Amino acid sequence: MSKKLCSLFLAALMVCCAVPVLAEGPAVAVTDMMGREITLDAPVTRIVALTAADCEILCALGCEDVLVGRGEYCDYPASVLDKPSVQSGYETNLEQIIALQPQVVLMGTMAQSVEQVEALEQAGIRVVVSDAQNIEGVYTAIRMIGALTGKDAEAEAIVADMQAGFAEIAERSQDTGKTVYFEVSPLQWGLWAAGKGTFMDEIAGLCGLTNLFEDMDGWVEVSEETVLARNPDYIVTTAMYFGEGPTPVEEILSRDGWGRLDAVMNDGIFNADSNAITRPGPRLLEAAWALFDFVNGEAAEEPAA
Amino acid sequence: MQKTKRNTFTAADCLLCTLALLLALGLCVLLGSEPLALRDMADALRSMLTGGEPPIPYIASILSRRIQRSLCAALTGASLSLCGAAMQGLLRNPLADGSTLGVSTGASLGAVAAMAFGITVPGVPYAGTMVTAMAFAFGSLLLILGLAYALDRSFSTHSIILIGMIYSMFASALINLVINFSGEKIKSITFWTMGSLADSMYRDVLILLMALAVCGTVLLFSSRALNAFALGEDNARHVGVNVKAVKLTVLIAVSVLIGVCVSIGGTIGFVGLVMPHIARMLVGPNHRRLLPVSLFSGAIFLLLADLIARTLLGSRQLPIGVVTSLAGAVTFVVIFYRTGKAGNKRC
Repeated sequence: MSKKLCSLFLAALMVCCAVPVLAEGPAVAVTDMMGREITLDAPVTRIVALTAADCEILCALGCEDVLVGRGEYCDYPASVLDKPSVQSGYETNLEQIIALQPQVVLMGTMAQSVEQVEALEQAGIRVVVSDAQNIEGVYTAIRMIGALTGKDAEAEAIVADMQAGFAEIAERSQDTGKTVYFEVSPLQWGLWAAGKGTFMDEIAGLCGLTNLFEDMDGWVEVSEETVLARNPDYIVTTAMYFGEGPTPVEEILSRDGWGRLDAVMNDGIFNADSNAITRPGPRLLEAAWALFDFVNGEAAEEPAA
Repeated sequence: MQKTKRNTFTAADCLLCTLALLLALGLCVLLGSEPLALRDMADALRSMLTGGEPPIPYIASILSRRIQRSLCAALTGASLSLCGAAMQGLLRNPLADGSTLGVSTGASLGAVAAMAFGITVPGVPYAGTMVTAMAFAFGSLLLILGLAYALDRSFSTHSIILIGMIYSMFASALINLVINFSGEKIKSITFWTMGSLADSMYRDVLILLMALAVCGTVLLFSSRALNAFALGEDNARHVGVNVKAVKLTVLIAVSVLIGVCVSIGGTIGFVGLVMPHIARMLVGPNHRRLLPVSLFSGAIFLLLADLIARTLLGSRQLPIGVVTSLAGAVTFVVIFYRTGKAGNKRC
């Protein structure tokens, strides 16, 4: 009896060993944005994307059909809302992800843990981390996801499109010498601004503006006094309007002591499309055009987008 | 339930507790956010046991996740509940527990500091946070008891709890301060303070098991001394208990256990407070029965709480602290109210 089991086991072992010998080199080899090497025998056909930006990139590549699950905040394009929603962050539902049987899970670094990656890999699911902090990072993410899905050409096309668009914005903008303050979190939750090295900082530069907080790195919590003292020419708020109470622009206008800011006096407050400007995906170009149009007002010639 | 309560944890008790625990464990492995066919699960389990290739690989993976998570929940629940029971006995204080005394928050502070300042034990992954969490748990406990003693020699219930609360707030403030200055590490630290059993690994199970085996044995062997403490420290001294030694051993064992639990699952409130009380209602105040029953009931409670956390809302998981605190807060109030009333009558 045990001999039989033993030989069965041996046979199984031999089959397992034989498979890699038969297979040729990997068809897909990518390095994710944490520097981990991921190789696959074929382009991915089942994928779960946890971040909204990665989900948008996948869909822009025309890969909506390989998406078998999406993070709970993925809502663009609207058709992805039909895909099963997966909890992300520190309560990531690993069991649900495993049950969706993806080959690859695309996740960010925000609120995801090393243990989650380890647990998924144990279940035979490859984890690919995307972590774009700037426009160049978005290109890297698009190329990486393109390589995973076998859509390298499409990825290059999207990147080329974005590069051309950003180049056009830069070309049509002159250095205005004016400053812009990106308000990522409104006063009621404490002011947070986009500092140097963020894609908002880059977009400001393309539009000929200087980021009010270019002397600080990344996303920074700033004091109200500093904003008032630095007196920005433009304020870009990424707050979302839920149809109740004052709009984000009205809210800024109503703030005590903000009335003397140049941005307030010269109608320089712009409510950006929050999702487009905060997600490191293809829609950053739209967000840049929107800011370009706002800054140039009627003076702008017909925008290309 | 018989009126005369037996004094020892008999083989029958042990069998009953083990059966209940196994039942809860089985339930936790069979149920989850993804409904799976019983047949498929049986196949997957069989293949896991025999080491063969599972017929449907993803089902084996899901079961493996559930097993790791459930084992962690059971061991954490057992440890926290045992610690609560031991501290309540040692301090003769029905409200004593890692979370009310500020020990858990102290352990969190230690772990957060270890992460922020990069304290590691060379060659042993995760040991840095764990060791500092233990040290801080012990330090916190000494500090709280020291302050309480200086304030009120009688060690009254209220002053200890009050100081524990104040210390908890103080330690939380320090945690926020450290997080504020942690720069790039802010994400992993914030993540960590939320704590979760969702990403439990066999490695965690092993660490918890070892800690519980060592400290649990120490605590269980202290049960006779704890019984003597029930009539006051002087009384314990008179019947030949080495008061200082017992106190120190129990406090160290409790700190180590809470430190390990906190550094693996984060702070999980109220298990250590509530379960010993329920155990006391079931088997009476004799620590020789109370401690092992607390251990088992804590394990079962946290298993079921975790099961509710991950199944109540379908595929959406609740943080386990939500479930334990909801159940725990209500019990806490009831106990406080009832002991308060009893106290008034005595006066």
